[in-house]
Amino acid sequence: MSTLTLNGVRKSFGALDVLQSIDLKLEDGEFLVLLGPSGCGKSTLLNIIAGLETPTAGDIRIGDKRVNDVHPKNRNIAMVFQSYALYPTMPVERNIGFGLEMRGVETDTRKRAVDGAARMLQVDHLLDRKPGQLSGGQRQRVAMGRAIVREPELFLFDEPLSNLDAKLRAEMRTEIKRLHNRLGTTVVYVTHDQIEAMTLGTRIAVMKGGVIQQLADPMTTYEKPANMFVAGFIGSPSMNFITGTLVRDGEHVGLTTDGNNPASIRLPRVAANLDALLGRKVVLGVRPESFQADGAAPDLTGTIDVVEPTGPDTLVVLALGNQTITARLGPKLTVATGETLGLSIQPDSISLFDPDSGNRIE
Amino acid sequence: MAERMSALSGPSPSLWRRLDPAAALGRLSETRYWMYLLLVPSAILILAVVLYPTVYGFQLSFRQMRLNRPDLGTGFVGFKHYVAMWNDKVFWLSLRNTAVWVTFAVVIEFGLGLLAALALNRNLPGTKIMGVLILLPYFLPNVVAGHMWALLLDPRLGVINDILVRLGFLETYKAWFADPSTALGAAILVEAWHGFPFFALLLLAGLKGVPDDLYKAASVDGAGPIRQLRLITLPMLRSVIAAAVILRVIGLVNSPDLLLILTGGGPGQSTQVLSLYAFQKAYKDFNFGYAGALSVVMFVLLMVFAWAYVRVSKVNQD
Amino acid sequence: MITTSRRARLGWNIATYAVLLTLTVFCIFPLLWTLLTSLKYEADIVTQTMQYIPKRITFENYVTIWTQSGFPTLVFNSFVVTATTVVLCLITGTLAAYSFSRFHYPGRGALMLGYLVIRMFPAVLMIIPLFILMRGVGLLDSRFGLALAYTSFLLPLFVWMLKGFFDAAPKELESAARIDGCTRIGAMIRIVLPLARNGLVATSVFVAIAAWNEFLFALMLTTSQGSRTWPVGLQLMVGEFQLPWGVLAAGGIISIIPVMILFAIVQRTMVHGITAGAVKG
Ligand SMILES: Nc1ncnc2c1ncn2[C@@H]1O[C@H](COP(=O)(O)OP(=O)(O)OP(=O)(O)O)[C@@H](O)[C@H]1O
Ligand SMILES: [Mg+2]
Repeated sequence: MSTLTLNGVRKSFGALDVLQSIDLKLEDGEFLVLLGPSGCGKSTLLNIIAGLETPTAGDIRIGDKRVNDVHPKNRNIAMVFQSYALYPTMPVERNIGFGLEMRGVETDTRKRAVDGAARMLQVDHLLDRKPGQLSGGQRQRVAMGRAIVREPELFLFDEPLSNLDAKLRAEMRTEIKRLHNRLGTTVVYVTHDQIEAMTLGTRIAVMKGGVIQQLADPMTTYEKPANMFVAGFIGSPSMNFITGTLVRDGEHVGLTTDGNNPASIRLPRVAANLDALLGRKVVLGVRPESFQADGAAPDLTGTIDVVEPTGPDTLVVLALGNQTITARLGPKLTVATGETLGLSIQPDSISLFDPDSGNRIE
Repeated sequence: MAERMSALSGPSPSLWRRLDPAAALGRLSETRYWMYLLLVPSAILILAVVLYPTVYGFQLSFRQMRLNRPDLGTGFVGFKHYVAMWNDKVFWLSLRNTAVWVTFAVVIEFGLGLLAALALNRNLPGTKIMGVLILLPYFLPNVVAGHMWALLLDPRLGVINDILVRLGFLETYKAWFADPSTALGAAILVEAWHGFPFFALLLLAGLKGVPDDLYKAASVDGAGPIRQLRLITLPMLRSVIAAAVILRVIGLVNSPDLLLILTGGGPGQSTQVLSLYAFQKAYKDFNFGYAGALSVVMFVLLMVFAWAYVRVSKVNQD
Repeated sequence: MITTSRRARLGWNIATYAVLLTLTVFCIFPLLWTLLTSLKYEADIVTQTMQYIPKRITFENYVTIWTQSGFPTLVFNSFVVTATTVVLCLITGTLAAYSFSRFHYPGRGALMLGYLVIRMFPAVLMIIPLFILMRGVGLLDSRFGLALAYTSFLLPLFVWMLKGFFDAAPKELESAARIDGCTRIGAMIRIVLPLARNGLVATSVFVAIAAWNEFLFALMLTTSQGSRTWPVGLQLMVGEFQLPWGVLAAGGIISIIPVMILFAIVQRTMVHGITAGAVKG
C-alpha cells in the first residue's frame, strides 16, 4: 500500500508526443481510473508507472521513493494485462507463482501463497492446467491471482475486462471492487468503459491526446464536467450540446439557439448567478436524463423526430430549431413521431461551456 | 555450480557472483542499448562475410587478378574489364539467355504455382497429402534434381524419350541437352519443376487470406469462376505475387547451379547465362577481375529490375 | 470459389483432382524413377527395352557408393558444415530477430531492410572475394570456412523467418515477465524462446536443408576430400569416373533422405514461416 506521485511526466515516441505533461497524486488505497478514447496514451502512462517504458521527462514516485531508474520488479507493483499475458508454456500454478519464484521465495511458502490467492479467486481447481485450457473468465481470474499473490504496493490494470462478454464483465467488475475493499491496495485502472470507471473509481482521470482533461471523483466528473470533451465522453447517450445566446426570460435566464430557425429554452434555477453572462454565446450541456416530460410549464418545446423504447425508459429525439436533442424519459410514455412535446429541465443539472475553448463556465 | 567452480579456479565466491556471466548479461540486457547489442553478433558476421566481400568484389572488378597468371600482377586496370565485356559476344549472348531463362521460368512457374494453389485452396478431401508432395521438389538439392532429370531425359535410356516414342510424339530418342535448339527449353522445364512449388506455397498462403465473403458476394452478383479469378483473386493476391516474383527472379538470376550441372552452358554457348559465365570465368579461368566485373553488372541489373518492379507494382496498387 | 449449380461444382471438383494429380505425378515421378533406378542392376538400366517395373531388385548400388568412394566422408563433412551453419545462425540470428521483433528504435526499419537486401547479392559476386579472403586467413577448404560463407545468405533468411515467429508471441508476455522479476534477456530465454520453439526448429531446419543442399559455394571454396561436401563430391564423381547411373541414383537417394525426413517433420511450421517471411519482406 502506497502513494503514487507523477510530476510532469512526458513521453514521446520519436516525433509523436504521446503524453504531454501528466501530474497526478494518489493517496494510499485510492482507486484511480484512467479513462479515455483509444490511443490517448493510457497504456503508455501505465507502462511508465510500471517501469516498462521510460518517460521522456518527469518524475515517478511510489511512496517516498523516486523510481524512475528502478527496475519493474523492484517497484513492488503488479500488473494485469488486457490479454492477460499468462505464460502459455506454464501451468496455472507456476503462472501465479512465477513472480515469487523469480524472487527466490521458498517452494513451501510459495505454494501456500499461490493456494491462498487461487482460493480467493476460485481457481484452485485449475492449478494444473495450462492457460490454453482455460475459458476467458478463468484466464482473467488467474491473471488477477498472479497480481495479488505478491501483495504489491500498487496494482496496475490495463483494460482487464475488455475481452470478456457483458455478463462476465459485470461479474468481474464486482469482484474487483470486492478485492479492492478487502486488500485496500492502491490501484491504477485503465479502461475505456465508463461504467467501469464510474463504479470502480474513487477518482477518474479523463484523458485525451496525452493530456488529463479532468481529475475528480466520479460524481463530479459526471455532474460538473470540466470541458465539452469530458461531458461528451461520460454518460450514454451522451450529453446534449445546444449552442445559443443567453438572454433574459422574465425572472429566468433563457437561451436562444443559433441558426435561422431559433428556438427558446428557459434555463432552470442554478446556484450560480448567470446575469453576468447575459448576451454571451455559450454551449448549453444537458444530460438526456435531466429532462422530464412536462406539458404544463415546459422549459422547451420541440417536435418529436424519433422514439426509441429501450425497456426501462424511452429515448426521444427532439428537433429544436436547427438542432436535435435526446431525452431519456419514462417507460410508459405514449408519444408519436411528429407531435410536439414539452420538456422541463431539472434544477442544477445543466452545464455551460465556452464555445471557443470548450471549457466549463462556472 | 558457480560455487564449485570457484573452489577450483580460485576467486572468492563474492567475486564470482560479481563476475557471474549470467547476471552480467542480465544487467546488460537492462541497458538502453540492449536492442542494438542484440544485433552486434549478426552484424559482425554480415559485415565479415557479406559487406566486406561485396565491396572487395566491386573493387576487384577494376583490377587485374588472374590466379593462374601471377605474372600479370594485381594492379588497377580501370574499366578494362567493362570495356572487354562490351566487346564480348558471349556476354551479350549470356545476357539474352538470362532474359529468356528468367522470363520463361518465372511465367511457367507462376502459372503452375497458381494452378496448384487454386486447386489446393478448394480443400477437397484427400488433397492435403498432394499439397505436401507438390512442395517437395523445392527442397531437393540442385545436384540431385539435375541428375534426376538428366537421367529422365537421357538420349539413350531416358524414360521420357521412351514414353514420347511410344505415344508417337517422337520418331526416335532425342538428345535434349545436346541440341542447341532444345537445351535451354529442357533446362527451363527442370527449373520449372524445381521452382514452381515456391509459387504454389506463397500463392496458397495469399489465397487463404482472401475473405470468403468476397466470393459469396461475387457469385450473388452473378460472376462466374473465371471472372472471380480475374476480379477478386488476382487483385487480392497482388502483393503476394509481387513478392514471389521478385524473390524468384533474384534467385534465378543469381544462381547458376542447375545449368552448371545440367549443361555447363553448352552446347556451344546456347545455355550460357550471366551468373554461370561469371562463375566459370572465376572457377575455370581464374580470371577473378573479369568475373567480378560480370557479377557487378549482374547485380546492378538486378537492382534496377527490383527497383522498377516494386515501383510498377506499387503504382498499380493506387 | 463458390458456384451455385451442383453439376458445375462436380465439374470443378473433377478438374481440381485432375490438376492436382497431374502436378503430383510431375513432382514425384522423377523421384520415383530415381529410386527405381537405384534399385536396378546396371544391366537392367542399360537395356534395349525400357524396364518400367524392375524385374529384380538389388542394393548393390547403395553398397558401391557407400564403400567404394569417399561418400561417407562427404556426407560427414556435409553434416559438420550444416550443423555449424545452423549453430552460427541460431546464436547470432536469434538475437537479431528478437531485437527486430521486440523493440522499436531509430534505424530499425533501415537495418531490417539491409538484412533483406543482402539476399539480393549475387552468389558469384560474393564467392570470388570470399575465396580470396578465406585463402588469406586459412579458412579456404575448411568446413568452418564454408559454414561461415553459408551464413552470408542464410542468416538474413533465418532472421526474417524467425522474426515472424517471434512477432506471434504477444509483447505483453515480456512485460509481465519483467514485472515478475525477469531481466530482458531472462524474459526472452524463459518465456519467448520456449513459446517460439516450433518456429526456432522450423527455421533451423530450413537453414539446415539449404546448407545441406548447397553446391556453388562448396564447389568454389573446398578443394580437398577433407572438407568437400556431398553435392560437390557427387558431381565430381560423375565427371571423373563416369559414375554408373544406378550408383549415382543411389547416392542421390541417400543424400536426400535427411532432407525428406526433416521436411516431413516440420513441414507445416516451415511452410508457415517461409510464407510469413516472404510476404512481409
Ligand atoms: N512503441 C511505440 N512506438 C510508437 N508509438 C507508440 C508506441 N506505443 C504506443 N504508441 C502510440 O502512442 C499512442 C498511445 O498509445 P497507448 O497504447 O498508450 O494508447 P491507449 O490509450 O492505451 O489506447 P487503447 O485504448 O487502444 O489501448 C498511440 O497513438 C500509439 O500509436
Ligand atoms: Mg491500451
